Amino acid sequence: MIDLISTIIMGFLLGGLYALIALGLSLVFGVMRLINVAHGDIVVLGSYLGYAAMTILGMDPILSLFFGIPLMFALGLGIQKFFLNRAFKVSMEAPLIIAFGLSIILQNIYQIIWSPMSRGLTTSYALKSFNIGEIYFPLVYILDFSIALVVMIFLREFLRRSYMGRAINAASQDRKAAQLMGINTDRVFAFTFAIAMALAGVAGICFGLTFPFVPTSGMSFLIIAFGVIVLGGLGSILGTFIGGIVFGLTQTLGSYFFGVNAQLLVAYLMVLVVLSIRPQGIFGRQG
Amino acid sequence: MRLNDSKIRTTIPAVFLIVVLFVLPIAGMPQNWLLFLFVFFTYVSMANMWNLLAGYSGLISLCQPAFIGVAAYTVTLLAWIGVPLYLGMVAAAIVSAAFAMIISIPAFRMKGIYFAIGTLIVPEVMRLIFLIWRPVGGSIVGGGAGYAIKKATEIPITYSYWLALFIWIASVVIMRLILNSLLGLGLAAIRDNDNSAASSGVNVFRLKLYSFVISGVVTGLAGAAFYIFQGYVDPESTFSIRWTIAIMLSTILGGINTEEGPIVGAAIVVFIYFMLAKYAGVSLLIQGIILTGIMLLAPHGIVGALRQTRPYQTLLRLANGGSVELGFHK
Amino acid sequence: MSEELLKLEKLAVFHGSFQALWDVSLVVRSREIVALIGANTSGKSTLLDTISGFLHPSKGTIEFQGKDISGMDPFKIVDIGITQVPEGRRIFPDLNVLENLILGSYNRRARGEREKNLERVYTLFPLLKSRKNQQARTLSGGEQQMMVIGRGLMSSPKLMLLDEMSLGLAPVVLGELYKALREIRERGITILFVEQNVRQSLQEAERAYVMESGRVVLGGDVAELREEEKIRKAYFGV
Repeated sequence: MIDLISTIIMGFLLGGLYALIALGLSLVFGVMRLINVAHGDIVVLGSYLGYAAMTILGMDPILSLFFGIPLMFALGLGIQKFFLNRAFKVSMEAPLIIAFGLSIILQNIYQIIWSPMSRGLTTSYALKSFNIGEIYFPLVYILDFSIALVVMIFLREFLRRSYMGRAINAASQDRKAAQLMGINTDRVFAFTFAIAMALAGVAGICFGLTFPFVPTSGMSFLIIAFGVIVLGGLGSILGTFIGGIVFGLTQTLGSYFFGVNAQLLVAYLMVLVVLSIRPQGIFGRQG
Repeated sequence: MRLNDSKIRTTIPAVFLIVVLFVLPIAGMPQNWLLFLFVFFTYVSMANMWNLLAGYSGLISLCQPAFIGVAAYTVTLLAWIGVPLYLGMVAAAIVSAAFAMIISIPAFRMKGIYFAIGTLIVPEVMRLIFLIWRPVGGSIVGGGAGYAIKKATEIPITYSYWLALFIWIASVVIMRLILNSLLGLGLAAIRDNDNSAASSGVNVFRLKLYSFVISGVVTGLAGAAFYIFQGYVDPESTFSIRWTIAIMLSTILGGINTEEGPIVGAAIVVFIYFMLAKYAGVSLLIQGIILTGIMLLAPHGIVGALRQTRPYQTLLRLANGGSVELGFHK
Repeated sequence: MSEELLKLEKLAVFHGSFQALWDVSLVVRSREIVALIGANTSGKSTLLDTISGFLHPSKGTIEFQGKDISGMDPFKIVDIGITQVPEGRRIFPDLNVLENLILGSYNRRARGEREKNLERVYTLFPLLKSRKNQQARTLSGGEQQMMVIGRGLMSSPKLMLLDEMSLGLAPVVLGELYKALREIRERGITILFVEQNVRQSLQEAERAYVMESGRVVLGGDVAELREEEKIRKAYFGV
């Protein structure tokens, strides 16, 4: 019984991390109507940047975000400007295929620089745990969950209160109407992609603190993020949060009932089933 | 129906080419060359079938490795219980078709980009299943359903070569038949606009299903042929996204939505594959860069770019007896 | 005669390979209300989208306050003082009324005048003030139309382009909206509106242009146009 309760709590906490991984994908899809299949690999980029900061500069992974976030942001502006922005003018499929190409490029750059070996952001606090009664929690799960919560509240306020945030929101609802408001949608796209990259950077650090990663981890991140969006629906941060928690619970409960090896399989199958029942997601709005 | 001049003019060289390709192994072509052509045939067959989906039916399928893996495992498991390989291939075709139909149930409820991601999950699910589940034979340390294909090593490369050649010819003939039939017209309507196709009486679902199943069967057979030659299967390789990359790159590099595109593309991809076989990471990196670059700079691929040049148009007009209209299939 | 605010000269506009506008010339003077009438697909909406910068003419010029603006992006066009209230209203359905209005003041010139403009919009449409926290998707058609006109005013425009605002609205509501247009004009904002309902257009406007399959076929004071043989026959049946 205690095992089951702790499984559920762990799944819940893990859900925060999954929502964080999905946030950037959801934002980009909501605004640019692009499923960025390189999103998972961008999350891994965050993990590797943290790893580089830790091993080369001896910096704490979380503190390295002070440099990591602006760096990811700038990279995002560049990728949008030089790749995606041009791809949107080519054809409907071009951005999807170019994102796929970027994904392959990133994976193999990681492979060449960091080898296929599994890495992790091992810090002293990442290994600590604490307990309530007989239930033990790794401290890092709480840390991930709190960071996810802070990031989501921050993003929500940004989208509501700043002019750029409102412009992003408007462009996601009606692109032409947004242009009629005097919004430069090219700029909105660039900012959206850059913000999504920065979010992925934070997600990558959190993931790296919690689990080991390899150059090809991006694939599972992409499917997780996509699953979270499918469950939570698009265009709502709250929906993404709920989707993350459902996904986290599915995974830990899948592991509890069917064994550790089956945990991802159960979660993926659930995504396929949900997609076939409601292609626009459980909480998503029509169209 | 009477065969017209232009049909004869294109049929004669095609038959000649097939005969030449058929006798090459007997005529003593070196093994390395046969190997190159063998891999080329499998790639170009798969690329043709992806072109049928992405280029002609508007279905960006990312689940082609699932067909390859399912067919390869069918052959492997049947060989394990003593079924001859040729019967295994027949079974692989049937299983691939059934698998395509099952996948289509969830996948065809999704549209556009959702279809792409939905299908992307399928090979991952299959990979995970075969990493956990070992259908026959005892469990081994480290898990995973890696098997040697029984009797596969006894097959000479010449046979594998002919098998792949046959699959390629079949894939071309199937493409031709589809594009020249009502199915082709219907598919063109679907690609251009799902809704108007549906309202004009085209049964969208059924046409898409046909092309999806056909694509699944031929892709699966080409994959099975590849793994029979290789002699062993394992989940990490058969269900790998690398197949998707190679298939997509062959089609797009050569020219999506053109019949000759996959031939050009696959030749280049296979060349890269052999040149950089020792450096898997670099090879994929280069493939990724080419894929991105070609999409940005020449989205219609090499054939698409060539088609705009005058010499190519003249050549094509000559080859077709001056009767064929130029341009992309619409 | 007052100053020419907007001047289109011999515009040719293509949708891909299809030519949608042929040799279109027209003039809108400061503080005028001008109607653009014609059947469906006669190119009226295309013309507004060309002025708004969504389409660029392959021939001809668009001058606004004496400057050529024919190559400008849509967001720049808003910046220089042209707002479009689009066909089908195109509200931001998930935002509330106030948030919709605030988006109208997105351009830098209008940001400073936000509070002042908001007061003006509320005086013009008091209903919007009482509904300001309501989700836009829950408004009625007429209320939505008021909101998008208000949203256009929030951008501190000099010229307002209005596309087919009468679609699906009851005559009473429409009367109110036209009254609002006259008040807007009193504040010094010039109006060019597109309409299928010819009778009403000729009542509300001072001058009008008639379009037919991508060309301007007639133009002038509404009083003269009413006498025009072609219009009488086509639209009034006498």
